Amino acid sequence: MESGSLAAKLSGAHWRLWALLPIVALVGAIALFVSTGSSLLDLVGQNPPPRDELDVRRVEFRPGEIKVKVTNPQREDITIATVTVDDAVVPYTLDGDRTIGRLRSTTIVVPFDWVDGEPLSVGVTSSTGIQTTKEIAAAVETPQASAKGFLGYGVIGLLVGVVPVALGLAWLPSLRRASPQWLAAFMALTAGLLTFLAFEALAEAFDLQAALPSGIGGVGLVLLGVTSTYLFLTLLSRRLGSREGTVGGLALATLVAIGIGLHNLGEGLAIGTSFALGELALGTFFVVGFMVHNVTEGLGIATPIAEGGRVSLRRLAILALIAGAPAIPGAWLGGFVTSDVLGVLFFAGAAGAALEVVVEVGRYVARRAPGGLSSGYVVGGYLAGIAVMYVTGLLV
Amino acid sequence: MAKNFTRKQVLAGSLPIVAAAPLAKLAWPSTARGERSATHLGHDKPLEGHAAMIGAEAPAPGGPHDQDDLLVPPPALPYKAGRVRAYDVVAVDRRIEVAQGVFFDAWTYNGTVPGPVIRATEDDILRVNFTNGGSHPHTIHFHGIHPGDMDGVFEIVQPGDSLVYEFPARPYGMQLYHCHATPLKKHIHKGLYGAFIIDPKEPRPPARELVMVMNGYDTDGDGENNFYTVNGRAFYYAKYPIKVKKGELVRIYLANLTEFDLINSLHLHGEFFRYYPTGSTDHFEYTDTVMLCQGERGIMEIEFHNTGVFMFHAHQSEFAELGWMGFFEVSD
Repeated sequence: MESGSLAAKLSGAHWRLWALLPIVALVGAIALFVSTGSSLLDLVGQNPPPRDELDVRRVEFRPGEIKVKVTNPQREDITIATVTVDDAVVPYTLDGDRTIGRLRSTTIVVPFDWVDGEPLSVGVTSSTGIQTTKEIAAAVETPQASAKGFLGYGVIGLLVGVVPVALGLAWLPSLRRASPQWLAAFMALTAGLLTFLAFEALAEAFDLQAALPSGIGGVGLVLLGVTSTYLFLTLLSRRLGSREGTVGGLALATLVAIGIGLHNLGEGLAIGTSFALGELALGTFFVVGFMVHNVTEGLGIATPIAEGGRVSLRRLAILALIAGAPAIPGAWLGGFVTSDVLGVLFFAGAAGAALEVVVEVGRYVARRAPGGLSSGYVVGGYLAGIAVMYVTGLLV
Repeated sequence: MAKNFTRKQVLAGSLPIVAAAPLAKLAWPSTARGERSATHLGHDKPLEGHAAMIGAEAPAPGGPHDQDDLLVPPPALPYKAGRVRAYDVVAVDRRIEVAQGVFFDAWTYNGTVPGPVIRATEDDILRVNFTNGGSHPHTIHFHGIHPGDMDGVFEIVQPGDSLVYEFPARPYGMQLYHCHATPLKKHIHKGLYGAFIIDPKEPRPPARELVMVMNGYDTDGDGENNFYTVNGRAFYYAKYPIKVKKGELVRIYLANLTEFDLINSLHLHGEFFRYYPTGSTDHFEYTDTVMLCQGERGIMEIEFHNTGVFMFHAHQSEFAELGWMGFFEVSD
């Protein structure tokens, strides 16, 4: 009776005030701590002096000139004192103040006769003498956002994204003739290749975040990317799915295409960035390798449709675009903007999406496949999916 | 297909000529003296190469006469039996600007890196009143001939304590001094060293005398030097070229106290000089480049044959481009 009346009271307008109580108390506690903060510090020792940290975001090469964009990732202001190229102090100009506040950026312009195709290091020394060095694998003129470059990156994106996926989709007629066991095996293969893509993307995201300055909080960025796409796709699959809660056929194929599409966005970004930074020899072999690697992605999209009724060519084309086309904007972004933060988010997002689709495919296989998840076809198909991605990945 | 030069290559090839023009113009001493910038010669194009690193353009800290006490030694005194030469030296921790805008938490003798120039005539009694005003134990270890208890190795001076070093200055030549507390590497690279000149009883010929102590600074603590200098400030004598007269005898007391790197060197452009290793004998080498290990030192004697602007720098290109370079401006 007592608790009931309390609950009744709380269900009134008062609960809003009660909800505010912890926040008010927190503000009070913080105020108390701040007012006595230094004496508390005396009890446990002293802070080590902060070591200046600077984030070299982008290094661009123009004829006779190097442009270095730097950001201050730390809480304290940082003052740029000297700039070195290959361990030599060089004259430079700044587009703003020498002292930059937290998360503020400035661009350093160095007149410099750099050597095409040779490695080079750019160092920025702060007023406290701490030098941040960025190694450039090979100095090449940074592509400008020209119509030609735009077209070039577009073609690269098309070749490594859309074309192989479309080719893989052409397996659809053959898949329609496959027995239920073999179809289950191919579904499992799809799950396998998506698992591989998720791990690959996750590893890439962790790699990239490790290079970020600690102030940006790389691991949190990865988690944010993974969970947001995972939950977004879960929501989407509920919308697309039937009442029983599982998706199949075209809906599942769409989910697979979205998962692969997000991965290809990251892949395009990585290719564009590496090329723009001179870390990548963009040869025929490289493009061929990616094409072979990505053909299997088309197979993954085709398999869920194979069971259902006829699907129009237009639909298939849309699926190919969803899965493959993101490589094009990815390559543009990577080639012209280059942002490690964006890279971390893209790859983490791709990992989350791929994992979600693995779960969807797994549910589907568990319900529909003869013998369920533990059948030899399914287990074999899953392992084969991972193995195929691994082997074709070696080509890149 | 015949290989033609591209426009870019032609432009690159002409760079030395472009760069030489402002330097050539410098060779003509302008009638207006004073704060004339070596590079403000009315160019619209940005200067390149060394031409962009001289005069006001050079990224050096400080004003034109800040370093005079370190560059110009106290005068030599003729020999007088039994004379005492007394110096007060205090070790102090001090944050100093070592390159433009770059500050280094140094350990110094008397507030500068290198420390003050100590000078005596051979057989003078050198008396150095040393006080440790720093936060770590320090000593002064002099190179030269002296009793064992004046060596600055075992007589550690704690913060707040004092010690008087007293011994006859021997032998004549370019000597040096530095802290010998441990860890030795730390105490030297933090800046505790300086020049110690002992003049011969028979005076050397009168000359324009200069002191150059070569050093380096590891500002980010990775065991490698970020900057190299003479007398403590990167590019200082590029910003403020040393003005000398054609034909006058220029005598440079040179020492190397660079930590971390095996050797340092000095190369003079457009001229040869007599180099007396350690300066304690008449033996000399006629050259334009000398190489010194840490602790090595010597005396250079130059008579410039030509007027103009002549570079001097470490002939380790890296050291030169990290601050160890400067210019002589030779006029009639």
